[in-house]
Amino acid sequence: MSTAPVEFPPPVDSAKEFVAAPEDPEDERIEVGVAIVGGGPAGLACAIRLTQLLAEDESLMESLGEVPVALVEKGKSPGSHLLSGAMMHPSAMKKLFPDVAEGDWPTYGTVDTDAVYLLPNAKRAVPLKPTPPPFRNHGNHVTSVAQLGRWLSGHAEEAGVYILGETAAAKLLVDGGRVVGVRSGDKGRGREGEELSNFEPGSELIAQATVLCEGTQGHLTGAAIRRFGIGSEDPQQWELGVKEIWEVEQPLDRVIHTMGWPLRFGARYREFGGSFIYPMGEDRISMGLVAGLDYRDARFSVHDTLQLLKGHPLVAELIEGGKRVGWGAKTIPSGGYWARPRQLWAPGVAICGDGAGMVNVPTLKGVHYAMHAGMFAAEAIVERLKAGAGCQDLSNYARKVEGSEIEKDTYRSRNMRQPFTKGFFVGGAIANMMEISGGRLPGGRWATHDDATVDVFIGPERDYPKPDGKTTFDKLSSVFATGNATRDDAPNHIRIQDRVPLEVALMWQNMCPAAVYEVPEEELDAARANGNGKLDGKHEVTMQITPSNCIQCGAITAKGGRLTPPEGGDGPNYQAT
Amino acid sequence: MSILVYALHYEGEFNKNSLGAVSEGAKLAKELGGEAAAVVVGGDDLTDELCASLGGYGASKVYRVKGPEGLAQPVVDAMAKVIADEGFKYALFGGGLLGFEIGAGLTARLNAGVTMEVTAVKVQDGGLVAERPILQDSAIVDVGYVGEPGIIIGRLNAFDATESGDGAAEVVDVDVQLEDHSTKAVMVTRGEQRGADVNIEDADILVAGGRGLGKAEGFDLCESLAEALGGAVAATRAVVDAGWYPYAAQIGQTGKTVAPKLYLAAGISGAIQHKVGMQSAENIVAINKDANAPIFEFSDLGIVGDLNKILPKLTDAVKAKKG
Repeated sequence: MSTAPVEFPPPVDSAKEFVAAPEDPEDERIEVGVAIVGGGPAGLACAIRLTQLLAEDESLMESLGEVPVALVEKGKSPGSHLLSGAMMHPSAMKKLFPDVAEGDWPTYGTVDTDAVYLLPNAKRAVPLKPTPPPFRNHGNHVTSVAQLGRWLSGHAEEAGVYILGETAAAKLLVDGGRVVGVRSGDKGRGREGEELSNFEPGSELIAQATVLCEGTQGHLTGAAIRRFGIGSEDPQQWELGVKEIWEVEQPLDRVIHTMGWPLRFGARYREFGGSFIYPMGEDRISMGLVAGLDYRDARFSVHDTLQLLKGHPLVAELIEGGKRVGWGAKTIPSGGYWARPRQLWAPGVAICGDGAGMVNVPTLKGVHYAMHAGMFAAEAIVERLKAGAGCQDLSNYARKVEGSEIEKDTYRSRNMRQPFTKGFFVGGAIANMMEISGGRLPGGRWATHDDATVDVFIGPERDYPKPDGKTTFDKLSSVFATGNATRDDAPNHIRIQDRVPLEVALMWQNMCPAAVYEVPEEELDAARANGNGKLDGKHEVTMQITPSNCIQCGAITAKGGRLTPPEGGDGPNYQAT
Repeated sequence: MSILVYALHYEGEFNKNSLGAVSEGAKLAKELGGEAAAVVVGGDDLTDELCASLGGYGASKVYRVKGPEGLAQPVVDAMAKVIADEGFKYALFGGGLLGFEIGAGLTARLNAGVTMEVTAVKVQDGGLVAERPILQDSAIVDVGYVGEPGIIIGRLNAFDATESGDGAAEVVDVDVQLEDHSTKAVMVTRGEQRGADVNIEDADILVAGGRGLGKAEGFDLCESLAEALGGAVAATRAVVDAGWYPYAAQIGQTGKTVAPKLYLAAGISGAIQHKVGMQSAENIVAINKDANAPIFEFSDLGIVGDLNKILPKLTDAVKAKKG
């Protein structure tokens, strides 16, 4: 039996629930100049660029009122919900901070040596030489985006940006066919949505322009794309990355990428991805495993596969005697060029960064594109305001993106991810041909597919290691390490159907790195009894859901559910991811 | 005088955490070469005898203030006055929501320095240094005080109540003019949150149930055993979530922190989120059918087996032993 999760769509009505007209009385609205949703690289770069441009034009600044630039961030502070690899390309930082020396950036600097390995099995590692071009990282900075976010938000606040932390943007405000701002989420609701004694309703932020920089799986980004019909005919796809920070005894002297094991090569499993291991200064390394969410085996778990990877001699040697000090997970948009929204703006709103799919999949780059896009949005908005034209038409933002490296780089690798549905070796050969030909061969438009339309089945039992709490870890202690302490009686922010065929249920259970979904033991027993000891999907089960574990990675939205933002401040509090 | 402690009472008895704070204050004061005193606020139930009994935990003096009990602001008024009149160098609280509120209020009132969630206090260079865990308890920082008074708010159950003193404390009545804003709040009812009648933080013996009990009725087995042992029943987040037991009994990261003499964990896997709420129990006994459950890694005694068989037999054995 196999089932596509898309057959069990989440109980969500995006147009009704996430889009609304302003309804607060006028004196209760918060009037701002530009409202930015999300304190990541895109949103903070946008905010800082706006303050730079407004500083040159005092009368324009004054015309925007008391709060020219406001930024809402759902995490405890900007950085709390940020996670990436990351090897950051320096171009965006150079543009935004021309006066700050590279050595003063909040990064771990550049690394001169690259190494790529193909792991055929649990024992061997075959170095690929010369390093395939997408993996050449000379000049790129090892970066923790959580730390970058905190540094950027410090600069933004200094420049006068009004940052509202612990605030979720729950609804897109649309009036007369244009976006006029956002409504923040309510706080202090109980499990059934009832108002508790500390209840605080959300507020309406009314802005001349709104910039959505929500990152992967943007909540309002999705709502806006639907509302204005600006999506691509090619659906967005995602990969899930789980990463750990280790304190190690020996400094790492190179940037490592691996392909192959513990992911399986067979086309039947569609396990596409690889791992990264980056040095963070003298005593830390950042490592993670990324896999496409169009995989098929319900027993596949990215978190546990990363635990498995640490047993490979190549990795085990690096972390020997070390200690895990951080953990986290996040999805990465991987649909590339074709899956990007057809139009990057709608009346009154611009969409930037991961939410707009601005990721170059083969080179694993996105942070600098997000920052560039945020800066372009800032420049486009200021152009419009200066002209006194209002921000109804932000096509100038899209043109700036189209004339930039975002467009050039993602177009070049536009067809590189798709062939991997044919399995590792065939896909790898096609991708190589694309790389060698600079993206010209094979040409055409390779369609992407919605991850949730890929049917899943229950594969053979996996040999994930039993967590020992030293080198391998279970999901719950990993969630604990993120600093997540969400109150237990918060409303459930995850929309799924809770009664589904066993293979879908098991897929969610194994997919989720934070142990949010669980198939109760008695349901498994009943399923085994039905299937003569075998587990298969003829049996429908009722899932146990623990939303307070959620670290908002977004995988559920890719695989047939819908993540919505919980109360502001909930979720992880990442420090160095 | 050196250390002033607030002691909370309810229905003629002092709170266990308050007694812990008095004991800790007395011990530290001795090392500093000073004395510890306590402040109590309430009505006629604060008898001479009850107040003087704090001497048994090392308090040399007890300042008795007439005022509404169980509210924070009147205690802030009382402690601010006693500190102003008598010149204490430190104020110490045993933890709990009221202690946090009073400590924070007193800090603001006196423009003092404060350390919260303190797990231990030591004497260093003639002053007190508070130890406070940070970053999800992965590191501990030492906090000293540069001004006076220094406010120290303990984590719940951080300080043990030990009878050490030399009999009765001197009881001094203090007349405190309550501030206007301190009389605005009125106590409506007092009791455990969400209507539960268990007080698991004070129990010496806890029988805690988890998902391994299988169903809500499984808690009957825990209750029988707790009754036989003379203890109380606690629960994990998962079973509270499932509605099997009230929130007031929840142990762990988002529940209560306990440190009983005996913690018997029935059907609890022992995730870190639970462990942080009970790891300072003196003896941990775990019963679980899964030999790989993490709880066996930090229990003193582990039993792999079926709860439905073991719990009733254990209950019978305890009853037989007690006669």
